[in-house]
Amino acid sequence: MNAAEGGATAVADAAATGGVAIAARRLERRYGDVLAVEALDLNVRRGEIYGFLGRNGAGKTTTIRMVLGLIRPSAGEVDVLGARVKPGATAPFARVGYLVESATAYPNLTVRENLEIQRRLTATPHTAVGEAIALLRLDGLADRRAGVLSLGNKQRLSLARALLHHPDLLVLDEPTNALDPAGIAEVRELLRSLARERGVTVFVSSHILGEVAQLADRIGIMHEGRLIEELDREQLRAQERLYVRVGVSDQARAATLLAAAGFARIDQAGDGLRVHEAEGRVPEMARLLVEAGLDLTELTTVREDLERHFLRITGGAA
Amino acid sequence: MFAQVLAAEFLKLRRSKVTWFSLAALSLGPLAIALMMWIVREPGRAAKLGLLGTKANLSGLTATWPAYSSMLTMVVGFGGMLLLAFVVAFVFGREYTEGTAKNLLALPVGRHWFALAKLVVAAVWWAALVAAVLVEGFALGALLRLPGFSASLAASTVRDALLAATVAYLLVPVVAWIAMLGRGYLPPLGFALAMLMLGDVLGHTGWAPWFPWAIVPQFIGAIGKPATTIAPVSFVVIALTFAGGIAATIAQLRWADNAQ
Repeated sequence: MNAAEGGATAVADAAATGGVAIAARRLERRYGDVLAVEALDLNVRRGEIYGFLGRNGAGKTTTIRMVLGLIRPSAGEVDVLGARVKPGATAPFARVGYLVESATAYPNLTVRENLEIQRRLTATPHTAVGEAIALLRLDGLADRRAGVLSLGNKQRLSLARALLHHPDLLVLDEPTNALDPAGIAEVRELLRSLARERGVTVFVSSHILGEVAQLADRIGIMHEGRLIEELDREQLRAQERLYVRVGVSDQARAATLLAAAGFARIDQAGDGLRVHEAEGRVPEMARLLVEAGLDLTELTTVREDLERHFLRITGGAA
Repeated sequence: MFAQVLAAEFLKLRRSKVTWFSLAALSLGPLAIALMMWIVREPGRAAKLGLLGTKANLSGLTATWPAYSSMLTMVVGFGGMLLLAFVVAFVFGREYTEGTAKNLLALPVGRHWFALAKLVVAAVWWAALVAAVLVEGFALGALLRLPGFSASLAASTVRDALLAATVAYLLVPVVAWIAMLGRGYLPPLGFALAMLMLGDVLGHTGWAPWFPWAIVPQFIGAIGKPATTIAPVSFVVIALTFAGGIAATIAQLRWADNAQ
């Protein structure tokens, strides 16, 4: 069973049991005149990976802080694992691991000692520290002071802290910040396996669209404090479009030839022709253009994905 | 659960330079007064070493155990009030300066336990500092062979120093609250300094027994007319300040937004 199937199964199970990990209703947060989060209705099902997407300032972190009870909503309410989040409430947090914005640790303490603090505060068995160190591949750094760690390793330490007590729900705000590409892939795989093998619900915010698209079972897009769209995996796939970019000496003549050959959707763009719905007909296209005596400089299949969709609905340049 | 929180709070001090810095800073007090006693007793030798023997003599100091122990109490009481504010500013303010406060607030632990555990850590830290300084002070006094030592003098010095240290400690929950309100080290330190300055002013107006930060300085003779005891009304003022400080600290942790 691959990750996608695993996630889908978990989501199906959760749906069958009616399990909701995070339920926000008409959640709002106002800072003076600024409405940072507006009437947010959000349901994150148990066992799913929910990608929370938005530009900087969209309201993602404010929402996460309200989910964790770090800040109070101006209006509305939020339940986490069935318990109402109120100021100072502790009920759900034995089962919640989290990382909010920047990775932080006590600089005078080693990686192991930082995790030991979390272990004590979550009343977790002693073995949990070693497990978390191994899980995040911090073995070689376990006895190094947190103050001398690189940003990427501090991020790993923060993730280890979030995972140490085997939470049922992970709330992660930009968890791959400062990680190198290999680290990002590792964290992605880790989150997938946690969701697939342990049924952990993952609520993860990011502005890295490709990252979220690869990981999430569902995606919510925040913009200017509002949840403007939710997409499940199928809808996400539907957003993916392929086109063939054609670099050719005479664009107008090439477009005419391709249209005559039955290529229905052709756009002329600055970087060449864009021929849509043509991914299975690339060899035919090449033969046609070469036989017509045109100089072919590029023939590339391009994936137009969530990023373009995201930019379009949030008003950015596509 | 409180035991686990307390253990975690003590663990946070491991390898912390601030603990050693606080000890070094307070240790300078007995060293300084011991030096003054030596200068007063040996003005000629002090002058030869370039120290201000004549001026020290003119200050009216006498090189005796009663004078020395009175100054030792002052070190604990007045110097300690500032240093204790520094300790509390560190224990509470570091969570904001180091960005770790947010890691404490969504846990299966009541937030009030953190406030109480931190206050216990500060109390233990402060007790260790006071004990170290008293031992150092008595050792230096013995080295100087000052005249006028007696067991009852030593007992009253220890009693007065501990009373001053305890009263000074009872004021720190307010400083802790300011550390959380101001999210760092500087606001509580500024607050403590401002309160001591205000206490100095009020100490000369007759309001000292009513103002928490003037009570210790007046008791140890640092401001105004020296008091031999702490007035009963001052104990009420201090108790109210302590209770108010604890309530404000817990309320701040529980209710305030933590948008760090």
